[in-house]
Amino acid sequence: MPTVTIDGRSVEVAAGTNLVEAALEVGVQIPHYCYHPRLSVVGQCRMCMVEVEGMPKLQAACSTPVTKDGMVVRTSSPQAVEAQRAIMEFLLINHPLDCPICDQAGECGLQDYSFKHGQAFSRFRFEEKRVYPEKERIPLGPNVMLNMNRCIQCTRCVRFTQEISKTGEIGFFNRGAHAEIGTVEGRPLDNPLSTCVVDICPVGALTSTRFRFAERVWYLDKKPSICTGCDVGCNITLEHRRGSIKRYKPRFNPHVNDYWMCDFGRSTHERYRDDPRVTSPAVRRNGQLVPASWKETIDAVFQGIRVKRADGVTAFLGSGFLTTEEAYLVARLARLVESPHRAIWVDSGPARAIPNLRGGIVGRDAAPNRRGVELAGLVPGESGLDAQTLLLEDGAERCAAIFVVDSDFGRAARDPKVVERLRKARFLAVMGWADTPLARAADVVLPAATHAERDGTFVNVQSRLQRFVRACPAPSQARPGLEILAELLSRFEAKWASVSAATVFDLLAEEVDAFSGLRWAQIPAEGQTLPSLSGTEGAA
Amino acid sequence: MAFEPVLTRNLGRPEVRTVRGYRASGGYQALGRALAMQPDELIDLVKKSGLRGRGGAGFPCGLKWSFVPKGGDKPKYIVCNADESEPGTFKDRLLMEHDPHQLIEGCVLAGYAVGANTTYIYIRGEYTAAARILEEAIRDAYGEGVLGASVLGSGFRHDVYVHRGAGAYICGEETGMLESLEGKRGQPRVKPPFPAVIGAFGCPTVINNVETLCCVVHIVERGADWFKSIGTDERNTGPKLYAVSGHVERPGTYELPIGVTFQQLLDACGGMYKGRALKAWIPGGASASMLTAADVDIRLDFDTLAKAGSMLGSAAVIVMDETTCVVRATLRLASFFAHESCGQCTPCREGTEWMRLILERIESGRGSEGDLDLLARVVPNVGGISLCALGDAAQGPVKSLIQKFGDEIRDNIRNRRYPLPRVPFFALGAVA
Repeated sequence: MPTVTIDGRSVEVAAGTNLVEAALEVGVQIPHYCYHPRLSVVGQCRMCMVEVEGMPKLQAACSTPVTKDGMVVRTSSPQAVEAQRAIMEFLLINHPLDCPICDQAGECGLQDYSFKHGQAFSRFRFEEKRVYPEKERIPLGPNVMLNMNRCIQCTRCVRFTQEISKTGEIGFFNRGAHAEIGTVEGRPLDNPLSTCVVDICPVGALTSTRFRFAERVWYLDKKPSICTGCDVGCNITLEHRRGSIKRYKPRFNPHVNDYWMCDFGRSTHERYRDDPRVTSPAVRRNGQLVPASWKETIDAVFQGIRVKRADGVTAFLGSGFLTTEEAYLVARLARLVESPHRAIWVDSGPARAIPNLRGGIVGRDAAPNRRGVELAGLVPGESGLDAQTLLLEDGAERCAAIFVVDSDFGRAARDPKVVERLRKARFLAVMGWADTPLARAADVVLPAATHAERDGTFVNVQSRLQRFVRACPAPSQARPGLEILAELLSRFEAKWASVSAATVFDLLAEEVDAFSGLRWAQIPAEGQTLPSLSGTEGAA
Repeated sequence: MAFEPVLTRNLGRPEVRTVRGYRASGGYQALGRALAMQPDELIDLVKKSGLRGRGGAGFPCGLKWSFVPKGGDKPKYIVCNADESEPGTFKDRLLMEHDPHQLIEGCVLAGYAVGANTTYIYIRGEYTAAARILEEAIRDAYGEGVLGASVLGSGFRHDVYVHRGAGAYICGEETGMLESLEGKRGQPRVKPPFPAVIGAFGCPTVINNVETLCCVVHIVERGADWFKSIGTDERNTGPKLYAVSGHVERPGTYELPIGVTFQQLLDACGGMYKGRALKAWIPGGASASMLTAADVDIRLDFDTLAKAGSMLGSAAVIVMDETTCVVRATLRLASFFAHESCGQCTPCREGTEWMRLILERIESGRGSEGDLDLLARVVPNVGGISLCALGDAAQGPVKSLIQKFGDEIRDNIRNRRYPLPRVPFFALGAVA
């Protein structure tokens, strides 16, 4: 492999690696706009000009591969710095100074590089800035808004629709100083990945209709998380302000979603904002659900599910939204009350495809963690009832009690017929964040945290184990499901009194073969494919 | 000067537009001779002749051919650059309209040398007559067995297609031309890879100018030594077409040995229009830097002009006399480049327009004292770091304006008063 020396630091890279990537290897960031590691190299923003020894002119780092041994590159020689400054000047002469009302402000490539490579004054003082009249607010499609005045013609969006989404809606029109991007009439930007063009737009030309004017980005708290839209498990950055989630953005993971995520996934957090939520524990007294303390509520569940009668035992109904750890505790609970009825319901959704370098992943469940929940033991035991029987047939009548561990387990939680059927059990406990008709019909309601408010792991469609952490605290009296379940378990066994997702996971890893050898603290940031999927029944 | 024109020898003889007539004038003999040679011998012959590309860049033709990989499973292509769109250039049109078979012969020769079975002649869209004449000649050539499955019965297959451009200057840039040929937006590609390796439709491609290919015919016919005997030195050889326009008595295309001096060329054109004094001249089309009356003894060849800070380019010589406002003339060129910039790369997209705006301000009497300095600082940023040569081209005339006519700019700034009658710059740059 050839060795390249960049700003005095040498590194060996694969032949053909371009200088932008090679420079990152030695910790040098070469400024660029049009270059994106997953898009074709067009070398047109000219921001990445560097000096290469032996070449008479400056070279664009993105389109210069390391081919021969001993290349010497200088990214901050006076010539290179002057070129970068010149490009910044060119880009800014016609760029509107509307940062105060621009969504991109704070995460804008033009702002960042102005600060680093630009100058504080303008020599473009006499002429009027170029504008694209009537093109400040062009909806390119349902999710993306174009402000042509802010565009720097890097064509990343054009190449994205050609090369990644392969839909080709965005084109490059006109030429010279009037070159612009746009769509063809009757062909709006409407593909499942369309909002990705907002992510890759280095400036505020393309903004998300979902996020437009929702928040200044510097007020956002950003936490790594996993999307719950389907079982692809796209890695995301969850961005919230004081617990109110403002947006999901894809977080790079080459094994899963690469740099992308789908529009549906981005919208999934809106339910936490729009749907009613339970925030107070409640117990049914004289036919009415009334607020109660956590102790009373958990006592009520403890009494309700422990009771064993001739006509049946407690059934547990989980969902694909539970974390692996929560599912493990539910399975434990079921074992303690000697119930084989460990059901799980997962809606199947439309196929959601995410491209990556290995050809992509398709998710089919409408929940992120069916595999993890099943591996953790939430599968019906011998002669145990399954979710089908419980929800659509007469399963509930054969149970002494039902503990629904996720009030929002699927569309059925809002189906009056299903609620009626579940209600036939003598005792119905419901845990969850959503105030669904099912929660309102329960004898005990346990308000739980949303996805953003808890720690845990999911196992995606490729059997990849991915960890996520709490981004914000649960509001009011709501608590992470894991905590609630652990407190309930501690009524049976004292050792559960104080556990965390980490300790539960480590316990689970010792017990369940599929997770053997894993430790919470050692799950890599990119996740990890489960070493062995054999012997999953051992957990039951 | 005992120089016998060869490229233009058939001018004014309409009968050579048919294969029969062209043959009668000695045509297609070179092709017959070349088909008996090995392709490598042909490449060596062209290398030996010292032929440099006549389109503008002056890249050695034989060397370019030798970059095409031998063998391989991909087809190879010859693309003839007939998109003659450099302002001031009108030499290829003459060759195509008057002697189409000379070009066809050159295309087949190039195809044989590199192993390409197809030539695309990418012709400027406005050249309707030339395109029609070429089409007719090609049809005739197929009928006479010059083109098709077996060129002159040799078993070598060659097809020639005419592809008409749609009027963009940038499609004369070789990779922009390939994009356009493939049916895409005409804008240059990033190089490397060079077209010799990945060109039209992802296949090895040689792109040659019309005049270059016509020269090849005569090199094969008369030998490399004959070609080398014409011209300045080893690196500047052969006959050259000079397209002269502007303030001369007889503007037109002149075939002369490469490396004649400007004065000699001027004399061939009958001298300055009405005997006026020479003020400025451009040796190689709009992209070349302007020269002045002090430079009349400069030899018009690649290296001498490069040394003088300009270039031979397409050898489109534009002559301006003392009545010309060079600021206005330069503004006109700057407007052209701003209009023709494809808009993909930043320095060219923004820089050409900015240069135009500054020049327009100065020319219209609204300039300020700092403008000359501003222009001098902006101009170098437009070239050098642009994606293709258009940025460099746009820089050329403005740079020379600043260097050589600084006083005139200052005079425009100080003494012109707004409003002056505005010249209609055919609404360049107003394409919002």
